[in-house]
Amino acid sequence: MDSLRKALLFIFICSLCLFNLNYAKSLNSANQCFICHESNGDKASLLFKKDIHFKAGVTCAGCHGGDPRTDDMEKAMSKRSGFIGVPKGDDISKACKKCHSNPEIMKKYNSVLPTNQAGLLQMSVHGKLSTSGKENMLQCISCHNAHGIAHVKDKASPVHPSNVIKTCGSCHSNASFMRTYNPSLPIDQAVKYRTSVHGMLHAKGDNKVAVCTSCHGGHDIRQKNDLKSKVYKTNLPSTCAHCHSNSEYMKEYKIPTNQFEKYTQSVHGIALLKKHDVSAPACNDCHGNHGATPPGIESISKVCGTCHALNSELFSSSPHKKAFDERKYPECETCHGNHEIITATDRLLGVDKGAVCGNCHKQNDNVKGFKVAKTMRMLIDSLENSEKRAIALVNEAEQKGMEISEAKYKLRDAHQARLEARTMVHSFNLSKFQGVVRKGFSTASIVNHEAELAVNDYYYRRYGLGVATLIITILVISLYKTIRRIERKKKV
Amino acid sequence: MKSYWKNIYNWINSRVDLSELVEFMGKKYVPVHRHSVWYYFGGVSLFLFIIQVVTGILLLLYYKGSTDLAFESIQFIMSKVEFGWLIRSIHSWTANLFILSAMIHMFSVFFEKAYRKPREITWLTGMLMFFLALGFGFSGYLLPWNELAFFATKVGTDIVGVVPVIGKPIMVFLRGGEDVTGATLSRFFGFHIAVFPGIFTILLSIHLLLVQRQGMSEPFRTHDEPDWERKTMPFFPNFVLRDLLLWLIVLNILAILAVFFPWELGKKADAFASAPAGIKPEWYFLFMFQTLKYIPGKLWLIDGEILGILLFGAAGLVWLMIPFWDRKSNRGEKNRMVNYIGLFVIIYIIVFTIVGWIV
Repeated sequence: MDSLRKALLFIFICSLCLFNLNYAKSLNSANQCFICHESNGDKASLLFKKDIHFKAGVTCAGCHGGDPRTDDMEKAMSKRSGFIGVPKGDDISKACKKCHSNPEIMKKYNSVLPTNQAGLLQMSVHGKLSTSGKENMLQCISCHNAHGIAHVKDKASPVHPSNVIKTCGSCHSNASFMRTYNPSLPIDQAVKYRTSVHGMLHAKGDNKVAVCTSCHGGHDIRQKNDLKSKVYKTNLPSTCAHCHSNSEYMKEYKIPTNQFEKYTQSVHGIALLKKHDVSAPACNDCHGNHGATPPGIESISKVCGTCHALNSELFSSSPHKKAFDERKYPECETCHGNHEIITATDRLLGVDKGAVCGNCHKQNDNVKGFKVAKTMRMLIDSLENSEKRAIALVNEAEQKGMEISEAKYKLRDAHQARLEARTMVHSFNLSKFQGVVRKGFSTASIVNHEAELAVNDYYYRRYGLGVATLIITILVISLYKTIRRIERKKKV
Repeated sequence: MKSYWKNIYNWINSRVDLSELVEFMGKKYVPVHRHSVWYYFGGVSLFLFIIQVVTGILLLLYYKGSTDLAFESIQFIMSKVEFGWLIRSIHSWTANLFILSAMIHMFSVFFEKAYRKPREITWLTGMLMFFLALGFGFSGYLLPWNELAFFATKVGTDIVGVVPVIGKPIMVFLRGGEDVTGATLSRFFGFHIAVFPGIFTILLSIHLLLVQRQGMSEPFRTHDEPDWERKTMPFFPNFVLRDLLLWLIVLNILAILAVFFPWELGKKADAFASAPAGIKPEWYFLFMFQTLKYIPGKLWLIDGEILGILLFGAAGLVWLMIPFWDRKSNRGEKNRMVNYIGLFVIIYIIVFTIVGWIV
């Protein structure tokens, strides 16, 4: 019985060896290149052993050409058998393209990968010629490696989210390299990224957060001023919203996901997305781009102040600055909101319904602030009415065909004074505010006067015409009678 | 009152012998017939020209002929200068009425065959004055340096530039360069206030002198009648007073137009702005402009626009030279063909002007 067991074990081991031998033979019999190179301890073939292509059955000849079935080196690496050696320049990407741009071939490997990467890369900013002028700036292997290519979801892959920053940074953080292509492009993106919320979470191993490719794309990266770029001004909010508006995706971060929705309805969103005014801010203008982070409470006025400089300056030197900081009120945001900022009208000022001053300055608790807010609103409303009256009179004079372009031009000054008054609100100083408003009142009154003169002149002209016509008619009748008298006298 | 006027007359008469002039004018007679009414349009044209000279001189006191100031100076005239609006509006309206009146005068002379011997020179000087009047209109139109004027001048001078061989040099001469610029404005201003008025005054003097020397032309019908059957009226005071009466009415019409339809100034010209849609020339160029629009781009082997301009040029020359080719009228015979040509021209101008206005 014991001998029977031994005999069976021997048969089993022999069959296993035979099976393994046959398997290895069948696997590598078509890849004689690999067998030889591996036996030589070739580094490339050692890497290739872990390559996704090797596992899928792609032989060395898949990229290098030649005949992998023969162990005769002369035959295997002859030109007749299509051997190309180590591809150089654009031939590298061509070798990849051969399969990756061919849906038929890709189907054989049960691949679900898109087959347009080569095309996208060609049209991307990386598809331009390199400094040598002989080949494209970037080849597939620049990001994906050559012999150890791993699936994008494999942590070993240089394009896995955990490695992307390093991969992109290998060129983009290299000053001497980047200088040869775009000296004006900063090289501190990776450093800034590490200071961003995205970067900090990424450093902790969170691979869900945005990396370079999340915002810039993979193969289709375009320059930021290219209309098709994912980070072009008008496309950027949607790019950010791709993650930030996905409540499922953002669940674990416990932050709101309605910023994009609010932004699209805000004065900034309407200006940028509907009016295509690229001077309007997108997400990155307030949050930063590579160093993206929510602005702190004290820094909000600085963020808004990059565009609204005067308002920010006035606010910073106003008594509100100290009061807001003490109470930890987010400066501009307290009155104007953040993502949903609506057009600031005069209605925001004062203590009536819809105004924001009354939120803090109650009639009983804070009488001084309450009175100032009320007076400011009253003055700005009066200024608006004066301007409207002046506009109406100028329009009337214009409709009557009077030349009133100078007064019409002065209307701009009246309007400008109203805009200045709105800005001056941020000083929260009544006397300063009154100074600007007075200027507006004075201009509006000059325009009113000139327009009134023009309208009066219109009626005066008609009156003058009536008198002139009367005189001419009397003269015509007198002349007619004289002519009749002369002619009658002659007949007689 | 009467004696007051008489005293003034006597005072002047004793110094310059006015009575002799009054007697001379009293001996001049104007034929009276069914078509006498047309005689008045010569006088009306003269009156409108005088208004143009007077209002033009007044405008000159404030107008500044440079691209930076032209528009603003007209704006100043219209809004700040006392009665500046009236002077400017009257000048603009008179320009149009002057051309209309001169046109009526020209056609009345044409149909009455008043150009026939011995009045060929009167016709020629009149026609040259009419062309000058169009030149006055074209050059004056640019002076406010507004958007419409700028582009109308651009289109107008472009059309001149199409004429083969001489077109381009003339266009460059008119513009003072390749484009309509400040140089064009300076040139047009010079033409408008110095060159054209100078030539016009000479032609007008010859024209009036000839009218005085040769008297009014009479139609065929009355020409052959015996002297005692011809009706006439003394040039002074009868015809002069009637002229004066009509001038007063014209003056009143001008005042009404200036008050109720003040001439607009529009927007300042901007060479970098695109031309406003539906830009059209002044009404008196409209029929030619409209014709050029209807001529196909290529007609036989010739460019349509060139052909149109050449045809208009030839037609103008034929019209100008009528006293020399209408031999029948010169012989005192009726020439119906000339009437048909005249009628065709009037209908053509009216129809194409209306079409140009509507389309």
